[in-house]
Amino acid sequence: MPQAAEMKSAPAATKLVQANHVSKIFTRDTFEVRALDDVSIEIAEKEFLALMGPSGSGKTTLLNMIAAIDRPTAGELLVQGENVFRYSDKKIAEWRNRHIGYIFQTFNLIPVLTAFENVELPLLLTKLNKNERRDHVMTALTLVGLGDRVHHLPKQLSGGQEQRVAIARAIVTDPTLLLADEPTGDLDSHSAAEVLEIMKRLNEEFGKTVVMVTHDPNAAAYAHTTRHLEKGMLLPG
Amino acid sequence: MTLSRFATKNAFRNRRRSFITAISIAFSLLLLTLLMSVYRGFYIDQGPPESALRLVTRHKVSLVFWLPSYYREKVRTIPGVVHVSPWNWFGGIYKDTKPENAFAQFGVDPNEIFDVIKEDRVPPDELEAFKRDRAGAAVNRALAEKHGWKVGDKVIVKGTIYPINLEVTIRAIYDSDNAFDSMFFSTEYIDQALPRVKGRTGTLYTLVDSPEHVTSVSKAIDEMFANSPQPTKTETEKGFTLSFVAQLGNVKLFILSICGAVVFAILLVSANTMAMTIRERTREVAVLKTLGFTRRTILSLYIGEAMTISLFGGLLGATGATLLMIIASKMPNGTFFTGFKVNTPTYLVALAVAALVGFVSAFFPSYSASQRNIVDGLRHIG
Ligand SMILES: Nc1ncnc2c1ncn2[C@@H]1O[C@H](COP(=O)(O)OP(=O)(O)OP(=O)(O)O)[C@@H](O)[C@H]1O
Ligand SMILES: [Mg+2]
Repeated sequence: MPQAAEMKSAPAATKLVQANHVSKIFTRDTFEVRALDDVSIEIAEKEFLALMGPSGSGKTTLLNMIAAIDRPTAGELLVQGENVFRYSDKKIAEWRNRHIGYIFQTFNLIPVLTAFENVELPLLLTKLNKNERRDHVMTALTLVGLGDRVHHLPKQLSGGQEQRVAIARAIVTDPTLLLADEPTGDLDSHSAAEVLEIMKRLNEEFGKTVVMVTHDPNAAAYAHTTRHLEKGMLLPG
Repeated sequence: MTLSRFATKNAFRNRRRSFITAISIAFSLLLLTLLMSVYRGFYIDQGPPESALRLVTRHKVSLVFWLPSYYREKVRTIPGVVHVSPWNWFGGIYKDTKPENAFAQFGVDPNEIFDVIKEDRVPPDELEAFKRDRAGAAVNRALAEKHGWKVGDKVIVKGTIYPINLEVTIRAIYDSDNAFDSMFFSTEYIDQALPRVKGRTGTLYTLVDSPEHVTSVSKAIDEMFANSPQPTKTETEKGFTLSFVAQLGNVKLFILSICGAVVFAILLVSANTMAMTIRERTREVAVLKTLGFTRRTILSLYIGEAMTISLFGGLLGATGATLLMIIASKMPNGTFFTGFKVNTPTYLVALAVAALVGFVSAFFPSYSASQRNIVDGLRHIG
């Protein structure tokens, strides 16, 4: 990794994510949408942060920037002190595989794959052998309480169980950062509570840094801090 | 699970669609394999090694013109020539004109014909009997068995070109590796029955001593008679068969264009399936990328998927064609495909075509899917 040295420009150990004056403008036909407007935020290691804000305020866009799924139009974004966007696409993909766990509102499991296989998916990109992969998958599935559902297909699971499989998939590579975009948005309150408990446990017991977008104040209550976005701007926290 | 297992699972995700695609590829490849085998039989296979040593000499203008019989002895003087026999198409009818009763009859020199077609095997005593009887005939074993002929049986073949009937006694039954049914009889039989054709021959069949001499002997024969009233055209046995086939028109181009059309059609079928499949997975591609899948992995995943389907179809089609040709060759009455068979190279070419179809059809949709922006993919509804 020859680039590694130059990437570590600001090695602030406790600052896992550092966004400096990040803006994102989407151009649609003739007019522009300013999805993020000069956002600066620091997220410490082992933090559990909730991001709230009205629809269209830029929450998903900010999450996507942190996951290096989307590039800022202006400003700088450092994760673990590295400006990931300087990597090639291939390296960004590898980096994301290793460091980011992403949880979607709609679970996004692969319908033809069993719970086990869905969770195994990110590990297929690693050098782990079959037995090591199985151990990791079983650990992750047991952690989310689905050790007995490994061979079920997504359609044979409830929404809450599907989301827990998705969480297992997100954590199976042991990433530093867990990003969740409205993870309880499609769940009933009981399943939502289960999912939030797992997120909390991952943060407290396993030291994962969690950034969770949510509309629900009850969900936000699980986080240490809550920040609000409005019209692409981050309100003072 | 492995990535290739994932590709296979994806291939049969929409079972019905994948199955229909595989079946259409199978049928097309069945046709393609048959055509390739016929093409190979006509234009590529050289037959037994002896066949390459045999030359057929005919009148330069057309097969319907005669050559003088004395050409035979002149040809014999050319260095490199080992044996020469006349070879005259009789074109008679046995019993009736039904295809199952059709076989070729040739007027030959019994003393030399089995030296020219030396790979065919005749029991020595039967060969002697054939040589001794001017009204004797030699037939291949398959033909004899089909009609239940034994040595000593009398057979009558009605002439169509000649105003005479052949009334011959089977004297020899020979074994041959080619599937061509023929009866040989002595040219003297016609010479005696029809004295006015005496001194004429249709074609001459020549065996050359070694492959290096084939071209020079063939040239020498034609040069020898170039300025005579009956100039000749000499070809290898294979070339002669092909000029016979050529009378049907441009068979080569015909076969090749059907092959091309077949490949193009399955390419479209497969491309359509893959484009549809991949479009439906727009969101999934973005999810995979979020998990860290690179463009290249996604590309190979989907190409692998398409190739799984097309190879599955290809395997069905090529195997089907092989079985069909085996069945056709076993049919008692013979079919168009008698004498052709699917060999291993043809089978492998068919599979390679299937694989290539899968690859090409998936490449463009997979490539554009893999290039697609993740954010747009995740926002995609459906
Ligand atoms: N790929 C895109 N192309 C065009 N406009 C986009 C794109 N992504 C986001 N936007 C726009 O940017 C703004 C912010 O979008 P974003 O998805 O970040 O909002 P959000 O806070 O996550 O909203 P929601 O709560 O509805 O998910 C919106 O106005 C949205 O329409
Ligand atoms: Mg959103």
